[in-house]
Parts: sequence; C-alpha cells; structure tokens
Amino acid sequence: MTAKSPEIMVDLIKVSKTYPPRVHALVDVSLTVHAGEMLFLTGMSGAGKTTLLRLLCRGETPDKGLVEVAGQDLDRLSGSGLQQLRRRIGMAYQDFKLLPRHTVAENIALAMEVAYRKRSFIRKRTRELLEKLRLADKYATPAGELSRGEQQRISIARALANMPDLVLADEPTGNLDRETTALVMDLFREHEERGATIIIATHDRELFSDGSHRVIELTAGQLRSPEEPGRTGEQSLHNEEASQ
Amino acid sequence: MNFLRAIVGQTLRNLRQTWSSQLVTLLTISLSVLIFSFFFLVYINVLNAGRQLGDNLRLIVYLDEEPSKPLQEEYRQKILKFDRVEKIEFVSSQQAYERFRKQLGHDQDVLEGMPRDFLPPSIEVYPIRSLSSLTRIKRFSDYLQTLPGVLKVQYGREWIDRFYSFVKLMRVVVILSGMLLILTTTFMVAHTIRLTLCSRERELELLRLLGASNHYIRAPFFLEGALQGLAGSVCGLVALYVFFDWIRLRFAGSAMLNLFPFTFFPVPVILAIVAASTLLCASGSFSSTRRILRL
Repeated sequence: MTAKSPEIMVDLIKVSKTYPPRVHALVDVSLTVHAGEMLFLTGMSGAGKTTLLRLLCRGETPDKGLVEVAGQDLDRLSGSGLQQLRRRIGMAYQDFKLLPRHTVAENIALAMEVAYRKRSFIRKRTRELLEKLRLADKYATPAGELSRGEQQRISIARALANMPDLVLADEPTGNLDRETTALVMDLFREHEERGATIIIATHDRELFSDGSHRVIELTAGQLRSPEEPGRTGEQSLHNEEASQ
Repeated sequence: MNFLRAIVGQTLRNLRQTWSSQLVTLLTISLSVLIFSFFFLVYINVLNAGRQLGDNLRLIVYLDEEPSKPLQEEYRQKILKFDRVEKIEFVSSQQAYERFRKQLGHDQDVLEGMPRDFLPPSIEVYPIRSLSSLTRIKRFSDYLQTLPGVLKVQYGREWIDRFYSFVKLMRVVVILSGMLLILTTTFMVAHTIRLTLCSRERELELLRLLGASNHYIRAPFFLEGALQGLAGSVCGLVALYVFFDWIRLRFAGSAMLNLFPFTFFPVPVILAIVAASTLLCASGSFSSTRRILRL
C-alpha cells in the first residue's frame, strides 16, 4: 500500500463501475479531495453520484481503478482494517437506512456504539445533535413514526455522531425546507471547521451558490467542473500532473 | 466496559423485539430439560435404591465340611483376591443350628431329635456397598462356586438380575433423552437465531456499513443463546421440582417411598445441568451466527 500525503483524504484514480447488464455508473473517474475540504458533487439523477459515495465507504467495489481513503487502498482493506476505517466515515444515505422500530436516540447512538464510545458521551452527543437539528422532542420516538424530513435529519445526525474524519452525504436536503436546510448546512460547516472532509451529493444548486466550495459535476458517469465546461474536472487535472 | 454495555444493550433490545420466537424457543428448551432431568432423576434414585438394597446383600457359601482355622484363612485370602469385601463371616454348623432355632421361636420343638450339626457350615460374604458390586455379584458368585469344598452359593439372583436390567434400561433412556436435549436445544437455538438474523438483515447490513466489529455483531447472538439456555434450564428444573414435590406429597407414607427415600438432585448436579444447557445453546447460537453471517 502506498502511503499518501496526510492532506489527501480521498483519492480516486481512473475508477469505473458498471452495473449489469451494461449500465456505466462511473467511467474512468479521477478525483482528489483534501482533508478538511467541503466538496459538492452535483449532476442529474443516475449520473453516478450515489455510486461514487458508496465506493468511498466500500459499500461498492470498483470494476477498475484505485480508491484510496485516508491513504488506504480500499480494495486491499478487509476485516478489522475496513471496520476501523468505516468508523472514521459518516455517511448519510439517500434512503436514510434508519431502523424503524428503534427510537431516534437508538438510531443515532448506533454509530457511536459500534465505536465503543462511553455511554455518557453517546447520550450527550445524541441530545446535542437533536437540539441542533430541532428534533430534541423526538428523542424516544421510533424512527418509523417520523416524517421523511425528520428521518433525513436523523440520518444526518447519525452520520455526524461519531465525529468522523470523512462525511459523505447523499442528497442530505432533498426532503427539507429552506430553514431546515440551513440548519443542516450549519452543522456540516461546523464539522468542516473542525477539520472533517465533507462530500455532499446534491441537486440543490443553492447549497453551493455562494461559490466558496469546490463543485464537481457528474455527467453520465464522468466528472466535470461546472465552472469550466470544456474541461473534464479532476480527470484532466490528473492527466496534467502525470505529464509533468 | 463500553463493549459489554453495548453488547448487553443490543441483546436486550433484540430479546424485546423478537419475544414471540424467543418464547417458543424457551418453552422447547424447558421441555427438553424437563424430559431429560426427569429420567435422570429417576435413574439417580434407582441407583440410590440399589445402593440401599446392596446394604442387605450377602452371599452365603455352603461348605461340605467344617473348615479348620488354616482353611478359613485360605478361603479368606481367595475371596479377597477376587474382590474387596465389607465383611467375611464363618458360620459353623452349630452356629447355624442356633440361629435357626432362634428364628423358629415358639416352634423350636420341631428340631427335637434332630442332630445339632444337620445344617451345613457356611461362609457369609458381604460385598462392598455399591451398585458396581451389585452388578458384579453374579461373577463373584461364579467365582466362589469354584472354590474347593463349596456345595452351593446362594443370593437373591433373580431379584438382582431384574434390578440390573432395569438400571441398564434407565441408563439407555437417560442417554437418549440427553441426546434429545442436545438436538432440540442446538436446533431450536440455531433456528431462532436464523429467524432473528433474517428479520434483522437490514440492521446487520447497517452495522457493517457503520464499521461494527465481528465481535460486536456476533456477541449479542451468543449472549442471547446463552440466556435462552440458562432460562430454559432453570424453568425446566423448576417444573421438575414442582412435579417432584407433588409426587412426594401425594405419595407420602406409601410403602415404596418409605422403603427408598425419593430425593431431588444435589446442588452440583443442578448446576451441571444448567451449565450444560447454557453452553449447548451458546454454542448452537455461535455456530449458526458464524455460518449465516460468514464472520
């Protein structure tokens, strides 16, 4: 395994993923994300955003190419190495992946329990996140009884609960109103300031309209920077580096 | 400590959520333990009864003539060479006559005119008081029959043979019910765990994505199996004790219970049954989880 610079959190080199029969979700995608960076991943539905995020937490494996997170080649990781890395990643899924019969607190606590956090820490952190997301009154409510917007916030709270180094959020504001979206983005920014790397896959252009963060667009499985329409994003960046 | 808390929390949560299938498993385990321990209890009491009966057991070796002191010593040596015994007693013709006369009581006059040495001298051999000596008694008798000067060897042969057959039958029943216990507990626990795993497929997938260790995923199932075994064996033994107590009260004063004291398991046996059941269920759960989750 090649030891990477600590500043690089995510490194994808010529990564391709095809689903049967012949759906090319990602085609030769190369991308580098630095530690502490907040990156927006945009593109139409089916452009490959979710696949890219799933590759980063080894929810999927690429057909081709290299995926490195925190300097570790995910293809070579297994067993406790993979488990430890996953504890450093917080992912908010588009389909939330909540346990409907578990309470809100139990759902959030799960991410901290698997990391064997102290009970007092878990309780405190859960309450803190719920308060920030204005869901404190739902502490003991079964997740299945919440609205979709509330479930989405719980999914985000669980992703952030364990203070991860890498946060992956798949359409985190898809079911939220403007006010709640602002709360969620504040929470992401708070973690960015703490040094976490955050990758947000979203349709919502308002989230990155202030231009303060890098935006990458996926089109039919290929990367593109919307600000520079003629250039295929990180892919050409890597080609330039290679030719030097 | 955090690991333990997390595991116990997970286990309790799971027990709460799958209580109906847990209850069926608990009942099955309790019933298996009840069946096994019932037969085992009967077997243990039969063994005790055998030991008690063995206390009164003796072999009477009739001799053709009165043995001299050196011959008595020779007989003693030969008997001890075969097996250890509780006591060896030589009864002369004279002593046998006196015993018989006392036994006749008021009817002693029937002995009038009879010579005082008309009864043969004998050796009374009292084997060690244990069931094994009871089962070896036939071989002992055959051996004594081969000694020089022996006319006949007498003991309650028919009774011992029947008793021994019963003990053998009970032993087979106990082994079979023990196997039933092993099969039902491991199968039922494995089955329940499989059902639980299927119903919690989404949760287990999520735990993997969150980075849960194999121990974290597997330990609650292991603990769950152990708890089922523990609770099932305790319930089964309590049910057996209630049944045992009922029998003791219902048949109090009956000739059979007066003859042989009917006792419950001693504490070490109870602990051994509980431990074995707990271990069986835990291992059933462990292997099932390992196979299904491929951890």
